[in-house]
Amino acid sequence: MSGFSTFLAKEFTEIRKTWRIFVVPGMLLFFAITSPIIADVTPALMASIAKSQPGVVVKMPPPTWRDSYAQFLKSLSQMVLIAVVITGAGAVSGERSSGTAVLTLTKPVSRRSFILAKIVSQAGLLIGATVVSTAVCVVLTVVIFGPSPVGPLMASVSIWAIDALLMIVVMTLFSAAFAARGASAGAGLGFFFLTLLISIWPPANRYTFVGLMSASGKALMQQPTGVLWPVATALGAGVLCAWGAVWVFEKQEL
Amino acid sequence: MTDAPAIEITRLVKHFGDAVALDGIELAVPQGSVFGFLGPNGAGKTTALRILTGLARPTAGAARILGSDVSTAGNDVRAQIGYLPDVPGFYPWMTALELVEYTGRLFGIERRALRGRAESLLEMAGLSGIRTKVGGLSRGMKQRLGIAQALINGPKVLLLDEPTSALDPIGRRDVLEMIASLRGRTTVFFSTHILADVERVCNMVAILDRGRVVANAPIAELKRRAAVDRVVIDVDGDPTMLIGEIEKRSWVRSIERMGEQIQLGVTDLKSAQRELPAAIAAAGLGLKRLEGAEKSLEDMFVELVRHAQQ
Repeated sequence: MSGFSTFLAKEFTEIRKTWRIFVVPGMLLFFAITSPIIADVTPALMASIAKSQPGVVVKMPPPTWRDSYAQFLKSLSQMVLIAVVITGAGAVSGERSSGTAVLTLTKPVSRRSFILAKIVSQAGLLIGATVVSTAVCVVLTVVIFGPSPVGPLMASVSIWAIDALLMIVVMTLFSAAFAARGASAGAGLGFFFLTLLISIWPPANRYTFVGLMSASGKALMQQPTGVLWPVATALGAGVLCAWGAVWVFEKQEL
Repeated sequence: MTDAPAIEITRLVKHFGDAVALDGIELAVPQGSVFGFLGPNGAGKTTALRILTGLARPTAGAARILGSDVSTAGNDVRAQIGYLPDVPGFYPWMTALELVEYTGRLFGIERRALRGRAESLLEMAGLSGIRTKVGGLSRGMKQRLGIAQALINGPKVLLLDEPTSALDPIGRRDVLEMIASLRGRTTVFFSTHILADVERVCNMVAILDRGRVVANAPIAELKRRAAVDRVVIDVDGDPTMLIGEIEKRSWVRSIERMGEQIQLGVTDLKSAQRELPAAIAAAGLGLKRLEGAEKSLEDMFVELVRHAQQ
């Protein structure tokens, strides 16, 4: 086993043996289970609220598979992305502050391998958890709402996953650049909210990765997504951030 | 083994902003030696070790391990060294065996050979059979685990930063015996501020103070240098007059009185041994003892550091 594969194997074992297994995968699974249920009960809840308010009439169409998927996608694009930011904040800075980076990097492991293994392990965890939770969401949606198409959810979750993977690489860069986990988390949240803000501007939404979120929603609605530019710029930004994380980490003294 | 030094440090300088951590140190550590890197806290020992392991970069100068420049050689050098930091950081969710096996795999050691080697190193470190996670081990146990993991690749150069600082007397003795047993096979370079450890196992020592090497010699030579310039006299009576008399002598460098005992620092031991009995008799005192005292490494260390600071 090379240094990279040994360190990567350590990362996956660490995910399995520590709290990390419960955060992003746990949240994804939670939302996969609750989204169809929430979609199913929301009209009844709204009606009961309306009943207690004299003069208020709430008319909602019966819920469908699309409501279930939309609920799941909404949770992914808000709560899960924030969880990705929080957990990714300590990816490098945590190892640096605990001294474990020194343990590994005084062996035949390059700093580039260290950073790339961090990115690959987090990406692997996210992709695996997303596949499982999407399958769970589809099964529950079929159980509650009857036969439901899988294609729209797969397309929208795939576009969301590109956004989440970019966030992992951005957080690895911040975690390599800042000494404290809190500082990298703050920078990550700042980046997250800034991209939301910029996405309001139509040209940015159309031609940069900030448009991935709305493209994901459009895919669910089976509308044209115009996803080419957002995906291409996300890939470019991801490569640039990964290179930046390696560069910053190689310059540092431990 | 060739005659080239295992570690060669040339005019090594390290600045942290305005602070000078290393101020042009020069060292050559022979292969197979146990080399003590001695100095008070803050002398620059850990900084030098961090440069040797590639964790930090020098401001100027160079450091070589087995002929390769540590700042450019990368994995080639790291594959041949073992390193124990002063405060070792381990993954708390691993067991001791998992940790040693993990470090072994980083060196590319085959899985079949690795288990046996890891178990024997843990046995040597007194940690065999311990199933507790590393997070639950005491500091001393972690230190011993650190030594075990540093030896997993059978390193040609073993770099130890304060390896005995967190150990109880038995653990310390065991570690020192283990270090001594490596002499001739592995070059051991260990930093410490515990003089007794250096005297016990090292055959060479460098004393570092404020980023400068103030002494660098084989232990035996350093002790030989220290042994000849101190004389202890025990007299029968008040030595005040005697002190007044002998402090005029040109070979006297320092006088220290403890009751009826006088300790003299001398530049010419033969003159001191010849003239002192007569001076004692002239002062009307009886001579109970007159001997050349061997200055300890501690005396030497304190003297060198004080001198450098002045």
